[in-house]
Amino acid sequence: MTDQALKILVVEDNVGDVRLLREMFRGESPGSFELTHLLRMSEAETYLAKGGVDIILLDMGLPDGHGLDTVMRARAAAPDVPLIVLTGLDDEALAAEAMTHGAQDYLIKGQIESRALPRALRHAIDRHRLQAETDLIQTQQIEFKDNFLSQVSHELRSPLTAIRQFVTILLDGLAGELNPEQRQYMEIVLKNVGQLRSMINDLFDVSAMQAGKLKVDLQCTSLSDAVAYAVDTLQKSALAKGIALSSDIEPELPSVCGDPIRIRQILVILGDNAIKFTPANGTVKIRVRVSDEDPGFLQLEVADSGCGVAADMTERIFDRLFQVPDPALEERKGLGLGLYICRELVTRQAGKIWVKNGPEHGSVFSVTLPIISLSRLIAPAFEEVRQTEPLFTLVATEIGSHTGWLSDTARAEIRDLLQGCLRSDRDILLPKMEVANTASEFFFILAMTDGIGGEAISKRIRQQLSHTEHLQQAGLIHSTSYHSIDAMRRDATESKKELLSRVTTRIEELMNEHTQPRQIVNA
Amino acid sequence: MHKRKILIVDDNADIRLGMHLRLKANEYDTFFAADAFSGVAEARKHLPDLILLDLGLPGGDGFTVMERLKKIPFLAVIPIIVVSARDGLGNQKRAFEAGAKAFLQKPVNDDELLAVIRQSLDEIAGIGDQVSP
Repeated sequence: MTDQALKILVVEDNVGDVRLLREMFRGESPGSFELTHLLRMSEAETYLAKGGVDIILLDMGLPDGHGLDTVMRARAAAPDVPLIVLTGLDDEALAAEAMTHGAQDYLIKGQIESRALPRALRHAIDRHRLQAETDLIQTQQIEFKDNFLSQVSHELRSPLTAIRQFVTILLDGLAGELNPEQRQYMEIVLKNVGQLRSMINDLFDVSAMQAGKLKVDLQCTSLSDAVAYAVDTLQKSALAKGIALSSDIEPELPSVCGDPIRIRQILVILGDNAIKFTPANGTVKIRVRVSDEDPGFLQLEVADSGCGVAADMTERIFDRLFQVPDPALEERKGLGLGLYICRELVTRQAGKIWVKNGPEHGSVFSVTLPIISLSRLIAPAFEEVRQTEPLFTLVATEIGSHTGWLSDTARAEIRDLLQGCLRSDRDILLPKMEVANTASEFFFILAMTDGIGGEAISKRIRQQLSHTEHLQQAGLIHSTSYHSIDAMRRDATESKKELLSRVTTRIEELMNEHTQPRQIVNA
Repeated sequence: MHKRKILIVDDNADIRLGMHLRLKANEYDTFFAADAFSGVAEARKHLPDLILLDLGLPGGDGFTVMERLKKIPFLAVIPIIVVSARDGLGNQKRAFEAGAKAFLQKPVNDDELLAVIRQSLDEIAGIGDQVSP
């Protein structure tokens, strides 16, 4: 860095300001700084794409870009180049916000001290480098842990595979008929293999949770399907213990916004626990109804006639590795991860989980999950909405395939890919919605941006989808378009609630227009 | 109809035997390989209808096997089902990218394994029908 010129890109439309900046480098030794000046954001994006810039000085009010949008565009064009924002005295708050969007520092025009500028640049570069190093170390640590866990689970799963294979071979009579006693013992082995398997999976989920990698794929889903699945899965172990397992579902319940696979997992964990802690000839009942406390939620209940939960344990029971401290229950011990996993999964689906003791005996575990509602989903985007910031864009991506079928894996991957195309924390990839019967599937993004930003997002999505080779091989067809919702410019009298409801209605209209059956072509 | 041939590539001898017994009982012929190199060699030799492929193998991993098979036109068409003890998150994606038909996590449920095998073989048979005059 010392013997090479520091390459500075100044993006500033005020030529006078640039002249002042140039003056400030006059005192530095010749050849230590090299300053390039561009007037527009679009020029800067092209220039940055070529690489070779050490630091960017960026004005936040350009002819073709304003405010945080310029910061995000610069970050997108050159994610590894440190960025200092130039701002006027009246915009300091905005500049400070820019720092949360990846700027290293901000300088207030007219208050920059000549000798301090080169130093500020060098500091920003150093800070950026340190941050990159810290990030790298963190990534390496997580990778190490992941590798270790993957190794452990691999080592545990292989012998378990062989055990399971041979037990089932014996049970299916492939090595000769078993007598009833032998069969009974083999069933016991198989049951225990199943327990081991679910423990290994629990370990895996917990480590994924801690690495922030646990996937929850929110979509419009029915709880009655999940309950039917859970009852089916648990029936065998309930029967074995002489426990009556039943379900009670209110008719015509609305759908919730959740991950169907994770909801099944929650129900199986709760049901399994209920069976475990209920004595023979007891009952376990799974109920679903609209929540009494909040009609925006459905409430799942798993009620048992077991020993109940001590009053001082009702919170701690959801802690990681928590075990009921009762010697009588020693043999029913697990890893102490099930309820912890449930709580994490429920929280990630915007629900709540708690336990109370039943009216007579036993315990009732309750889980709430949000009823699907567009305005609730998009509400977070409105939390900090400003008077001057009225622009939303709805980006719609339609996906179909030549085979007429999209696998769960492909769907999850497309969601990941779209998630990666969002430009700010407030942009929202909406969950899969219930749309009219069409062969293709729709993904909608609500972005806090204008038409130019909408175009940029759409372009990125098209590129990503076209360049993912195996999706292409799988015969994927896609089409992405965007709609500015600029009619939503707020006037002073409109409350946020009114704005939210207006945007919701407009989005619903756009979604309906989109989901009319028609032919997709790659676009 | 002649029996379908399945090549089992897994470094664990117990698992190979277990799969063999299960497949034999379902009217499949089986062949074996215990490492990446012989995985490709046995595929050449027996031209199986389907390959069950473990990922953790000596002498390269399952991905190496898939890569090598892909380069040999008459082997590239054989459907591959990955049966692995590795976690599904990244490996499943990689397996599909490499051209696998399915990814099953060990310990595998036998019914599921048999169903996936049947489905993959049917698909191939379907393509054959369309091509033949």
